[in-house]
Amino acid sequence: MLRYARHPDLRLTALEGEGVALHLGTRRYYSVSESGLDILEALAAPRTLAELVALVTAKYDVTVEQAEVTTREFLERGLSTGTLTAEDVP
Amino acid sequence: MSAGISISCGKAAVGRWLEEWISSMRLVPPAPLAIAVHVGSIAPQDDGDARTPFLQPQLEIRSGPPQGDVRIRWLAGPARALIAPGGHTAQVEIGPEALADRERLAQSFLTAVLIFLLRRAGWHHVHAAIARDPSGRDWLFAGNAQSGKSTTAALLATWGWAVGSDDITFLVREGGSVEAVAQRAPIALRPDAFALLGLSGGTAARGGRKAAFFPEELGGSWAARVAPRILILPRVAGDVTRAEPVRPREALVELVRWSAWVALEPALAQEHLDLLNALACQARCYRLALAPDLFARRDLMMELVP
Repeated sequence: MLRYARHPDLRLTALEGEGVALHLGTRRYYSVSESGLDILEALAAPRTLAELVALVTAKYDVTVEQAEVTTREFLERGLSTGTLTAEDVP
Repeated sequence: MSAGISISCGKAAVGRWLEEWISSMRLVPPAPLAIAVHVGSIAPQDDGDARTPFLQPQLEIRSGPPQGDVRIRWLAGPARALIAPGGHTAQVEIGPEALADRERLAQSFLTAVLIFLLRRAGWHHVHAAIARDPSGRDWLFAGNAQSGKSTTAALLATWGWAVGSDDITFLVREGGSVEAVAQRAPIALRPDAFALLGLSGGTAARGGRKAAFFPEELGGSWAARVAPRILILPRVAGDVTRAEPVRPREALVELVRWSAWVALEPALAQEHLDLLNALACQARCYRLALAPDLFARRDLMMELVP
C-alpha cells in the first residue's frame, strides 16, 4: 500500500486558508489551494490515499469518488514535481 | 565600527576599508556577527563539495546538507567565504587581485556574505525599497532590478518622503509585526531614470554606469527602519500609472520570488518564509504599474493607494 508524505525539502506556509509551498531542493515555489493545503498539512506524516480522501470528504461537500479523483490528481502532481514522496508499505 | 558586525583583518589598510564599508551601511543586528578576512593568494580548493550551487550574478553559493555550512565563491575574482553551520562568523579569503575593484567586491561578494550572516541574527533579505510617506504610513516596494524600485525611491525622496534602501532590505520580526530594515546606501539610478527625474550631479556608481544619490540629496530623509502596512509590487508598464489590489497569497508568491535566499539553508528557510507570510498579511498589497505620469503628479501615489 502506498503511503504519501511531504518531501523533507518542502516548506509550507499558510495564509487565509491557502498556502505557498517552497521546495528547497529545486528552489521552486507553488501556490496552494485550500484543499491542497489541507492535504499537504496532513502529509506532515505519511498517509494513504484512502486516509486523505476521508479527510477531504469530512471537510468538503464532495462525494468519495470526486474526492478520490482530485486527491489522486494532487498526489500525482506532487510526485511529478518532487514535492511529495511515496513509499510502498506492506 | 558597527556595534553588531566586527571586522578582523591582518592587512590594516584593507581592514580599515572594510570597517568603513560596514559602518556606512548602518546595520546593527541584535546578535554579534563577525567577518574574519585573510588577504593573500588563495590556494585552489577541491573539497569534494557536491552540493548543487545556487548561482547569482558573479556568485556561486553552496549551502545546506550534508555539510550544513555556507560556501560563497566570487566568480569575478579570487574571493571566497565560509560560514560554519550555525556560525556567526564568516571566514573570508580575498586574493590581492580582487581588491583592484573594491566597489564591485563589496557590492557583490561581501554583500552576499553579509546577507548570510545577518540571517543568523534573524534578519532575512528581500529585494525591496522601503519608504515612509508624509502622513507616516510605511511602504515596501518588492521587485527585481527592472521593476522601477530605485527610480520610484528617488522620486519619493524628491517629494520629501523618508526613503530607506532602494534594493537591499532585511525583514525582522519585532513584537507581533514585521519590520523592514534598510541597508544605508545611495539610490543608484540608470541614465534613463536620471533623465526622467531631471536630476543632475550625484556620485558615479557601478563603474560609472549609474549615478547615485542619498535620499537627503534629493530633498527627502532616510528611513532606517519601517513597519510596512502597504506592500507594492511594482513594474514599469504603459502610459498611465495604475494600482490594483492583490490578495495576500498572490503577494506572498511575489515576495518569495524576490527573496531568492529563502530557499537556502533548510534550518532558516521556514523562518524566512513565515516572515514573508507575515508581511503579506500585515500589509495592504497592490500591483503598481508605473508610468511617466507619476513623475508629474506628486499626489498620485497617495490617490491610488489611499
